[in-house]
Amino acid sequence: MEPKKLTGEDVRLLYDRHGPALLAYACSFVADAGIAEDIVHQVFVKLLQGETAMPEVPVAYLYRAVRNTALNARRNGFRNAPLDHATSWLVHRGGDREAALALQAALIELPEEQREVVVMRIWSGMTLEEIATAAGVSLNTIASRYRYALEKLRERLKPYEKP
Amino acid sequence: MTWQDDRFEHYLREFQPPKPRALPWQTRTLPELLRRLAAAAVVTVVLGTSLWFAMHPSERGRTEIVTNGALAPEQKATGASLSLLPLTQLAVSDPVRLDAQLAAASRRVLPDFRGERSTLRVLAKE
Repeated sequence: MEPKKLTGEDVRLLYDRHGPALLAYACSFVADAGIAEDIVHQVFVKLLQGETAMPEVPVAYLYRAVRNTALNARRNGFRNAPLDHATSWLVHRGGDREAALALQAALIELPEEQREVVVMRIWSGMTLEEIATAAGVSLNTIASRYRYALEKLRERLKPYEKP
Repeated sequence: MTWQDDRFEHYLREFQPPKPRALPWQTRTLPELLRRLAAAAVVTVVLGTSLWFAMHPSERGRTEIVTNGALAPEQKATGASLSLLPLTQLAVSDPVRLDAQLAAASRRVLPDFRGERSTLRVLAKE
Protein backbone atom coordinates (compact mmCIF):
# COMPACT_ATOMS: atom_id res chain seq x y z
CA MET A 1 0.00 0.00 0.00
CA GLU A 2 1.25 3.46 -0.89
CA PRO A 3 2.06 5.54 2.18
CA LYS A 4 -0.12 8.62 2.37
CA LYS A 5 1.01 11.99 3.68
CA LEU A 6 -1.48 13.48 6.11
CA THR A 7 -1.75 17.21 6.72
CA GLY A 8 -2.40 18.72 10.15
CA GLU A 9 -5.97 19.37 9.05
CA ASP A 10 -6.43 15.68 8.10
CA VAL A 11 -5.21 14.67 11.55
CA ARG A 12 -7.53 17.16 13.21
CA LEU A 13 -10.52 15.79 11.28
CA LEU A 14 -9.57 12.23 12.21
CA TYR A 15 -9.24 13.24 15.84
CA ASP A 16 -12.62 14.98 15.86
CA ARG A 17 -14.38 12.07 14.21
CA HIS A 18 -12.68 9.08 15.85
CA GLY A 19 -11.15 10.53 19.04
CA PRO A 20 -14.06 9.64 21.37
CA ALA A 21 -14.43 6.12 19.92
CA LEU A 22 -10.69 5.52 20.15
CA LEU A 23 -10.77 6.72 23.73
CA ALA A 24 -13.51 4.19 24.52
CA TYR A 25 -11.52 1.55 22.68
CA ALA A 26 -8.36 2.36 24.68
CA CYS A 27 -10.40 2.31 27.88
CA SER A 28 -11.39 -1.26 27.12
CA PHE A 29 -7.69 -2.23 27.40
CA VAL A 30 -6.32 -0.12 30.26
CA ALA A 31 -7.71 0.50 33.69
CA ASP A 32 -7.25 4.23 33.88
CA ALA A 33 -9.20 6.65 31.68
CA GLY A 34 -6.37 9.18 31.98
CA ILE A 35 -3.86 6.69 30.65
CA ALA A 36 -6.26 5.74 27.86
CA GLU A 37 -6.42 9.40 26.90
CA ASP A 38 -2.63 9.63 26.95
CA ILE A 39 -2.46 6.61 24.65
CA VAL A 40 -4.82 8.21 22.13
CA HIS A 41 -2.83 11.43 22.32
CA GLN A 42 0.43 9.61 21.82
CA VAL A 43 -0.88 8.03 18.61
CA PHE A 44 -2.13 11.33 17.21
CA VAL A 45 0.95 13.29 18.22
CA LYS A 46 3.11 10.77 16.33
CA LEU A 47 0.90 11.36 13.32
CA LEU A 48 1.27 15.11 13.66
CA GLN A 49 5.01 14.90 13.96
CA GLY A 50 5.12 12.85 10.78
CA GLU A 51 6.82 9.98 12.58
CA THR A 52 4.49 7.47 10.97
CA ALA A 53 4.01 6.55 7.34
CA MET A 54 0.28 6.48 6.99
CA PRO A 55 -1.33 3.55 5.18
CA GLU A 56 -4.22 4.04 2.80
CA VAL A 57 -6.85 3.45 5.49
CA PRO A 58 -5.97 5.79 8.36
CA VAL A 59 -8.79 4.54 10.62
CA ALA A 60 -7.44 1.01 10.51
CA TYR A 61 -4.02 2.34 11.46
CA LEU A 62 -5.48 4.38 14.34
CA TYR A 63 -7.27 1.39 15.85
CA ARG A 64 -4.18 -0.81 15.45
CA ALA A 65 -1.91 1.86 16.92
CA VAL A 66 -4.18 2.51 19.90
CA ARG A 67 -4.54 -1.22 20.53
CA ASN A 68 -0.77 -1.85 20.36
CA THR A 69 0.09 1.17 22.49
CA ALA A 70 -2.49 0.14 25.08
CA LEU A 71 -1.22 -3.42 25.16
CA ASN A 72 2.36 -2.17 25.51
CA ALA A 73 1.31 0.08 28.35
CA ARG A 74 -0.33 -2.84 30.09
CA ARG A 75 2.63 -5.11 29.47
CA ASN A 76 5.05 -2.52 30.82
CA GLY A 77 3.11 -2.43 34.04
CA PHE A 78 1.70 1.01 33.36
CA ARG A 79 -1.20 -0.12 35.51
CA ASN A 80 -1.20 -3.63 36.84
CA ALA A 81 -4.55 -3.13 38.48
CA PRO A 82 -7.45 -5.03 36.93
CA LEU A 83 -9.74 -3.10 34.63
CA ASP A 84 -11.73 -0.76 36.73
CA HIS A 85 -15.37 -1.42 36.02
CA ALA A 86 -16.48 1.51 38.14
CA THR A 87 -14.70 4.09 35.96
CA SER A 88 -17.14 5.57 33.50
CA TRP A 89 -15.83 5.87 30.00
CA LEU A 90 -19.28 5.66 28.49
CA VAL A 91 -22.00 8.08 29.48
CA HIS A 92 -25.66 7.33 28.95
CA ARG A 93 -27.61 10.22 27.47
CA GLY A 94 -30.44 9.60 29.92
CA GLY A 95 -28.08 9.36 32.88
CA ASP A 96 -28.40 5.59 33.36
CA ARG A 97 -25.02 5.01 34.96
CA GLU A 98 -25.68 1.39 35.83
CA ALA A 99 -26.47 0.58 32.23
CA ALA A 100 -23.31 2.40 31.15
CA LEU A 101 -21.20 0.34 33.55
CA ALA A 102 -22.92 -2.87 32.42
CA LEU A 103 -22.21 -2.02 28.79
CA GLN A 104 -18.56 -1.30 29.60
CA ALA A 105 -18.23 -4.61 31.39
CA ALA A 106 -19.90 -6.42 28.51
CA LEU A 107 -17.60 -4.75 25.98
CA ILE A 108 -14.52 -5.72 27.95
CA GLU A 109 -15.66 -9.33 27.98
CA LEU A 110 -16.10 -9.45 24.21
CA PRO A 111 -13.33 -10.99 22.14
CA GLU A 112 -11.08 -8.24 20.92
CA GLU A 113 -12.03 -8.44 17.23
CA GLN A 114 -15.74 -8.29 18.09
CA ARG A 115 -15.26 -5.36 20.44
CA GLU A 116 -13.33 -3.50 17.76
CA VAL A 117 -16.15 -3.94 15.25
CA VAL A 118 -18.73 -2.67 17.75
CA VAL A 119 -16.69 0.41 18.65
CA MET A 120 -15.99 1.20 14.99
CA ARG A 121 -19.62 0.74 14.04
CA ILE A 122 -21.37 2.42 16.96
CA TRP A 123 -19.01 5.22 18.00
CA SER A 124 -16.87 5.80 14.91
CA GLY A 125 -19.98 5.65 12.71
CA MET A 126 -18.38 3.37 10.13
CA THR A 127 -20.27 1.07 7.81
CA LEU A 128 -19.57 -2.65 7.91
CA GLU A 129 -17.91 -2.30 4.48
CA GLU A 130 -15.57 0.37 5.81
CA ILE A 131 -14.75 -1.76 8.82
CA ALA A 132 -14.02 -4.74 6.58
CA THR A 133 -11.64 -2.60 4.51
CA ALA A 134 -10.01 -1.20 7.65
CA ALA A 135 -9.59 -4.61 9.23
CA GLY A 136 -8.51 -6.22 5.99
CA VAL A 137 -11.02 -9.05 6.25
CA SER A 138 -14.12 -9.95 4.29
CA LEU A 139 -17.44 -8.24 4.79
CA ASN A 140 -19.01 -11.56 5.82
CA THR A 141 -16.47 -12.02 8.58
CA ILE A 142 -17.10 -8.53 9.91
CA ALA A 143 -20.86 -8.98 9.68
CA SER A 144 -20.78 -12.21 11.67
CA ARG A 145 -18.41 -10.73 14.29
CA TYR A 146 -20.79 -7.85 14.66
CA ARG A 147 -23.84 -10.09 14.90
CA TYR A 148 -22.28 -12.23 17.62
CA ALA A 149 -21.18 -9.15 19.52
CA LEU A 150 -24.64 -7.60 19.39
CA GLU A 151 -26.20 -10.81 20.67
CA LYS A 152 -23.90 -10.88 23.67
CA LEU A 153 -24.38 -7.21 24.43
CA ARG A 154 -28.13 -7.46 24.06
CA GLU A 155 -28.19 -10.34 26.51
CA ARG A 156 -26.16 -8.34 29.05
CA LEU A 157 -28.15 -5.15 28.66
CA LYS A 158 -31.61 -6.72 28.64
CA PRO A 159 -32.37 -5.62 32.21
CA TYR A 160 -31.59 -1.98 31.34
CA GLU A 161 -33.14 -1.65 27.89
CA LYS A 162 -36.52 0.03 27.99
CA PRO A 163 -39.25 -1.54 25.85
CA MET B 1 -29.35 -6.74 10.11
CA THR B 2 -32.84 -7.11 11.55
CA TRP B 3 -35.03 -4.33 12.84
CA GLN B 4 -34.14 -5.54 16.33
CA ASP B 5 -30.48 -5.01 15.53
CA ASP B 6 -31.27 -1.52 14.29
CA ARG B 7 -33.22 -0.81 17.45
CA PHE B 8 -30.41 -2.14 19.63
CA GLU B 9 -27.83 -0.12 17.69
CA HIS B 10 -29.92 2.94 18.33
CA TYR B 11 -29.96 2.07 22.04
CA LEU B 12 -26.19 1.59 22.08
CA ARG B 13 -25.75 5.02 20.55
CA GLU B 14 -27.42 6.49 23.60
CA PHE B 15 -24.11 5.77 25.31
CA GLN B 16 -21.36 8.12 24.32
CA PRO B 17 -17.65 8.11 25.14
CA PRO B 18 -16.42 11.48 26.40
CA LYS B 19 -14.55 13.70 24.02
CA PRO B 20 -10.83 13.42 24.75
CA ARG B 21 -9.03 16.60 25.74
CA ALA B 22 -7.63 18.69 22.93
CA LEU B 23 -4.34 17.71 21.36
CA PRO B 24 -1.38 19.93 22.33
CA TRP B 25 -1.47 21.84 19.04
CA GLN B 26 -5.21 22.41 19.39
CA THR B 27 -4.97 24.12 22.75
CA ARG B 28 -3.65 27.27 21.13
CA THR B 29 -6.85 28.61 19.70
CA LEU B 30 -7.06 31.22 16.96
CA PRO B 31 -8.05 34.09 19.28
CA GLU B 32 -5.07 33.32 21.48
CA LEU B 33 -2.76 33.34 18.46
CA LEU B 34 -4.26 36.65 17.35
CA ARG B 35 -3.72 38.11 20.81
CA ARG B 36 -0.10 36.96 20.76
CA LEU B 37 0.39 38.46 17.31
CA ALA B 38 -1.17 41.76 18.43
CA ALA B 39 1.08 41.87 21.51
CA ALA B 40 4.14 41.15 19.36
CA ALA B 41 3.12 43.91 16.95
CA VAL B 42 2.72 46.44 19.79
CA VAL B 43 6.14 45.55 21.23
CA THR B 44 7.71 45.87 17.77
CA VAL B 45 6.14 49.30 17.19
CA VAL B 46 7.22 50.58 20.62
CA LEU B 47 10.79 49.33 20.16
CA GLY B 48 10.94 50.68 16.63
CA THR B 49 9.69 54.11 17.71
CA SER B 50 12.14 54.27 20.62
CA LEU B 51 14.98 53.32 18.32
CA TRP B 52 13.96 55.91 15.76
CA PHE B 53 13.84 58.66 18.38
CA ALA B 54 17.19 57.54 19.74
CA MET B 55 18.75 57.79 16.29
CA HIS B 56 16.96 61.03 15.28
CA PRO B 57 16.90 63.44 18.24
CA SER B 58 13.99 65.88 17.96
CA GLU B 59 14.38 69.48 16.78
CA ARG B 60 13.17 70.66 20.17
CA GLY B 61 15.87 68.79 21.99
CA ARG B 62 18.54 70.11 19.67
CA THR B 63 17.35 73.73 20.15
CA GLU B 64 17.53 73.31 23.88
CA ILE B 65 21.13 72.21 23.64
CA VAL B 66 22.08 75.13 21.40
CA THR B 67 20.21 77.60 23.58
CA ASN B 68 21.87 76.30 26.68
CA GLY B 69 25.23 76.55 25.03
CA ALA B 70 24.58 80.13 23.88
CA LEU B 71 23.25 81.37 27.17
CA ALA B 72 25.78 79.73 29.40
CA PRO B 73 29.13 79.37 27.70
CA GLU B 74 30.74 78.90 31.09
CA GLN B 75 28.98 75.56 31.35
CA LYS B 76 31.18 74.33 28.56
CA ALA B 77 34.15 75.14 30.70
CA THR B 78 33.01 72.60 33.21
CA GLY B 79 33.33 69.91 30.59
CA ALA B 80 35.64 66.98 30.57
CA SER B 81 38.66 69.01 29.43
CA LEU B 82 38.75 71.03 32.65
CA SER B 83 38.22 68.85 35.61
CA LEU B 84 39.23 70.05 39.00
CA LEU B 85 41.27 67.20 40.39
CA PRO B 86 43.84 66.85 37.58
CA LEU B 87 44.24 70.60 37.44
CA THR B 88 44.88 70.77 41.18
CA GLN B 89 47.41 68.01 40.94
CA LEU B 90 49.06 69.80 38.05
CA ALA B 91 49.14 73.07 40.01
CA VAL B 92 51.01 71.33 42.81
CA SER B 93 53.42 69.39 40.65
CA ASP B 94 54.01 71.64 37.64
CA PRO B 95 52.57 75.20 37.76
CA VAL B 96 54.15 76.13 34.43
CA ARG B 97 52.39 73.34 32.62
CA LEU B 98 49.16 74.30 34.37
CA ASP B 99 49.43 77.84 32.98
CA ALA B 100 50.03 76.50 29.52
CA GLN B 101 47.07 74.13 29.80
CA LEU B 102 44.73 76.85 31.08
CA ALA B 103 45.80 79.16 28.27
CA ALA B 104 45.09 76.47 25.72
CA ALA B 105 41.75 75.67 27.31
CA SER B 106 40.70 79.30 27.43
CA ARG B 107 40.98 79.48 23.66
CA ARG B 108 38.55 76.59 23.32
CA VAL B 109 36.18 77.41 26.18
CA LEU B 110 35.85 81.18 26.24
CA PRO B 111 34.30 83.17 23.37
CA ASP B 112 36.83 83.91 20.67
CA PHE B 113 37.49 87.61 20.38
CA ARG B 114 40.34 87.34 17.91
CA GLY B 115 38.09 87.39 14.84
CA GLU B 116 37.36 90.71 13.06
CA ARG B 117 33.60 90.45 13.72
CA SER B 118 33.59 88.70 17.09
CA THR B 119 31.08 89.90 19.66
CA LEU B 120 33.68 91.02 22.13
CA ARG B 121 35.57 93.09 19.55
CA VAL B 122 32.35 94.78 18.43
CA LEU B 123 31.43 95.55 22.05
CA ALA B 124 34.95 96.80 22.74
CA LYS B 125 34.71 99.25 19.81
CA GLU B 126 31.41 100.58 21.13
